[in-house]
Amino acid sequence: MEELDCKTAFTIPLFGGIPVAESVVVTWIIMAALTIAAAVLVRGLTVEGAGKKQLALELVIGGLYDFFRELLGRDGKRYIPYLITVGIYIAVSNMIGLFGMKSPTKDVGVTGALALMSIVLIEYAGIHKKGPKNFLKSFAEPIPIMLPMNILELFIRPLSLCMRLFGNILGAFVIMELLKIVAPLLVPVPFSLYFDLFDGFIQAYVFVFLTSLFIRESIE
Amino acid sequence: MQLLRLDWNILFTILNLIILYLAMRHFLIGPVMGIIEKRRALIDGQLKDARDQKEEAKKLLAQYEEVQKGADEEAAQIIERAKCDAGKAYEMQIAEGREQAKRLVADGQKTVELERAKMVQELEAQIAELALCAAAKILAENHSKETDRMLYERFLTKAGERHDADGA
Repeated sequence: MEELDCKTAFTIPLFGGIPVAESVVVTWIIMAALTIAAAVLVRGLTVEGAGKKQLALELVIGGLYDFFRELLGRDGKRYIPYLITVGIYIAVSNMIGLFGMKSPTKDVGVTGALALMSIVLIEYAGIHKKGPKNFLKSFAEPIPIMLPMNILELFIRPLSLCMRLFGNILGAFVIMELLKIVAPLLVPVPFSLYFDLFDGFIQAYVFVFLTSLFIRESIE
Repeated sequence: MQLLRLDWNILFTILNLIILYLAMRHFLIGPVMGIIEKRRALIDGQLKDARDQKEEAKKLLAQYEEVQKGADEEAAQIIERAKCDAGKAYEMQIAEGREQAKRLVADGQKTVELERAKMVQELEAQIAELALCAAAKILAENHSKETDRMLYERFLTKAGERHDADGA
């Protein structure tokens, strides 16, 4: 059961010690890897005569961009880079179990932070589009009796986002750990393919998909 | 055991996410989308250029056709004028020719008349001579007043008739 713990990687000796979780450290590693990879990949991009590497890069980033643009509509263009970033981050986090690290998304603190940012972004998008007054009014729509529901939604949406991601990744992690104990050789490979790659990708997709749907809803 | 851990690390994760967002925007999404956008602009520009050139070509063609039409018309006019001129010249020449012919005929007639008049004069002179000769012969052979008178009368009458017939 020790694997289920979210360990503290180290403690900052300030204010009586601030514990830094393992997930944060793994996130730093992911951030560093993504940034370096991005910096290396975008080197030598050309407008004409693109190489295979550039075409693949454009296919992925352009594809993600178009995917979000379709979901968000024309007014939501400014939120696309954030959604792409979160999508890549969650996907990489979910799959990092393949490299022997613990997924940061297995930590409810990380998924909670992601969901918190999502709800802030959703409501910010609504305020930005409608103005504060109309934004507040939109809580009483379509009929005033929906007011408590709409306010509840403010908490339910991030909670569901957070818990769905956390639960899926934790569940996959638990199953994988149990499998490794029962049959450490070869058997975990197909399961790892499913839980780490497929489920990891699906959960990343679901998270950004729902976030963009909510943003779309709030800017409409 | 810390399965659900909610503490400072949420703040760290949020900071991480914001930094990662800025990094990705700056290093990955910005450049790639910039390139895609530039390429789109380039293609759009080229398409627009092609459209413009096509338009220009169409305009030129229309102009050219108009010029050709003008040239055709001018050519037709020139031919028409040339035909007209040629017709006039032809008629003028014909008229001239006719006049000349008339003049020639008139000249010829005049000449013929002059010749005839001359011939008549000559004939008259010869006749007069012959008459004189005859008269001299008669006078020489047979000298009677009566015959003389008769001969003379007859001669006069004949000559007068001829003279009258000439209409002189």
